[in-house]
Amino acid sequence: MRVLVVEDDKDLKRQLVAALSDSGYAVDSAGDGEEGYFLGDTEPYDIVILDLGLPKMDGISILELWRRSDRKMPVIILTARDRWSDKVAGMDAGADDYLAKPFHMEELLARVRAQVRRASGHAKSEIECGPLMLDTKTARVTCAGQEIKLTSHEYRLLAYLMHHNGRVVSRTELVEHLYEQDFDRDSNTIEVFIGRLRKKIPVDLIQTVRGLGYRLSDEPEQG
Amino acid sequence: MPMRFNSLAFRLFATAAAWTLVVLPLAGLIIYGLYRDDVQASFDGQLRKLVNAITVDSMSLGSVPEAPANLYEPLFEVTHSGWYWQITPLDEPEAHKLVSPSLATASLPSPAAKNVAPDPSGARWMDVMGPKGEPLRVVEVIDTLGHDPDKPRYSIVVAGPLDWLEYLVSNFRNRLTTALALAGIGLVAVTLFQVRFGLLPLRRIERGLANIRSGEADTLQGELPAEIEPLQFELNELIRSNQEIVDRARRHVGNLAHALKTPLAVITNEAREEKGGFGAKVAKQAQIMSDNVSHYLDRARMAARVNVIGRVTPVAPVIGPLVRTLPRIHHEKNVEISSECPPDAYFRGERQDLEEMLGNLLDNACKWARRNVDLSVEVSSDSGSAHRRRLTIRVSDDGPGVSEEQRATIAKRGMRLDETKAGSGLGLSIVTDLAQSYGGTCELGRGPKGGLSVCLQLPAA
Repeated sequence: MRVLVVEDDKDLKRQLVAALSDSGYAVDSAGDGEEGYFLGDTEPYDIVILDLGLPKMDGISILELWRRSDRKMPVIILTARDRWSDKVAGMDAGADDYLAKPFHMEELLARVRAQVRRASGHAKSEIECGPLMLDTKTARVTCAGQEIKLTSHEYRLLAYLMHHNGRVVSRTELVEHLYEQDFDRDSNTIEVFIGRLRKKIPVDLIQTVRGLGYRLSDEPEQG
Repeated sequence: MPMRFNSLAFRLFATAAAWTLVVLPLAGLIIYGLYRDDVQASFDGQLRKLVNAITVDSMSLGSVPEAPANLYEPLFEVTHSGWYWQITPLDEPEAHKLVSPSLATASLPSPAAKNVAPDPSGARWMDVMGPKGEPLRVVEVIDTLGHDPDKPRYSIVVAGPLDWLEYLVSNFRNRLTTALALAGIGLVAVTLFQVRFGLLPLRRIERGLANIRSGEADTLQGELPAEIEPLQFELNELIRSNQEIVDRARRHVGNLAHALKTPLAVITNEAREEKGGFGAKVAKQAQIMSDNVSHYLDRARMAARVNVIGRVTPVAPVIGPLVRTLPRIHHEKNVEISSECPPDAYFRGERQDLEEMLGNLLDNACKWARRNVDLSVEVSSDSGSAHRRRLTIRVSDDGPGVSEEQRATIAKRGMRLDETKAGSGLGLSIVTDLAQSYGGTCELGRGPKGGLSVCLQLPAA
């Protein structure tokens, strides 16, 4: 899952990036409104954390522009403005959640997880696919009740596939959603990690759809 | 509108009316006295002419006085008419005495015999009672036949009825009194009109201020007389500067909030990362700081608003966005908020404050609700005065609710600001404080669906 953090306070931005990376997200960050708007407009993020008071361009304007150009990723507003009129304005501009500063990092992470899950159509915090179960709260994956040890990159890949289980996910999509902006997209890392995952979980769960990409499904492979 | 004792209108009216009541009777008395003197002088003049004519007529020729050939006054012929003449010899008591036919057998007293002093022309005047007991004015001249000083003296007396004079004077007095009374009533009425008309602009100011209070106007509008124009200007400036001060205070408070909260978030997060005792201590203290910042910023916002006049907020446009937004914030619970609000519900106060109160109450209800949150707004119209209309806002949920003891604790904390730990509990303390700052109340109870029900009473406009 790829996250964009738009926050002008350097320390807070660093903390957010660190906490989100530790939780298995690929994180990009922007320190001003213009950069934030540009990144959100061009890159396929799974979720955005947006401050409102930003240099160069304010958060509400950024959000409105994204929504006007049909950018549908979930956006959590993170701001010191805690009046209800501000919250209403933020939600009306197209935000999906609103968190007032100061905040507990755990709460922000919980809300991020909830928004990501909701965006991919999962109501519960546990996502299941056959014997596999992903607990989004604890970032743990079990197979038939047994915990599977995963590296950070393996977790990211499997979590993305599980969020979108049953759907064909292209290699490009995986690259775009699993790695930060400056990742070298020509390398064959995805194939390497798919190979490693197949060794840790029942092999037929990750299906290769030739010419299109991969699909996580507990149903037999078609064609 | 009835006039109050302690009013400009009453003062102006009372002084004008008192002046009228003093001056008119005084003028009446003077006019009456002058007229009376004038009528008396004219009556005396007439008597004087008659006595002179009779003297000349009776005493000029012959050796004894003769009855005047000319009647002069036809009433001299009518018995006891009130008009009499009498010629009495003074030196020869047995000599013939002449009287007018009207006197018949009666006789008139002589002022000279009663020692009445003559006036410069030699005439003596006296008021006496006539043969019928009627009041008479008597003039007496003492003369000799043919004005010869050696001849015997005669007293020539002419009398006229005083009641005729009295009739004239009293008739005038009545008419004068009527006329002055009418003039008095007219003057008082004109004064009343003058006062009302003159003070009309003040009434317009009163209405204008009422409009500002009720929010129908921002400033004191309309063309006012030159004397009040400076007052209008100053009042408008005062209102404007008052609102500016409040807005500026709010802005500064908002900026301060923004400036403090981000560093606090950084400190808190950093301290939580630090796993030692130091980190825990910093995290705890940062949390206390953060709570206090929120707590006192809320109070500062509230203090900035106290007693601002002229702010009225329609309730429905505040409820709409909150009811639309809150289920999205609490999307995981699928909370449904049903709201009822009459279109004529207006809150007499700041929009931001109403938003904070309703936002906190609804947010709280959404947190605890299972599925449903109900919001109802009523405007109480029982007390007739427009200043006393009240808004009753009820927010209830179908959650677990709180026990009576818990309710008491929450209410107590809300009432005693200094003991309130900001940012903790149900977030009701700011709602209670805001409601109280508007002279309203915030009461907790049990909702119809078993959850918490909060009843806010606020002033309506």
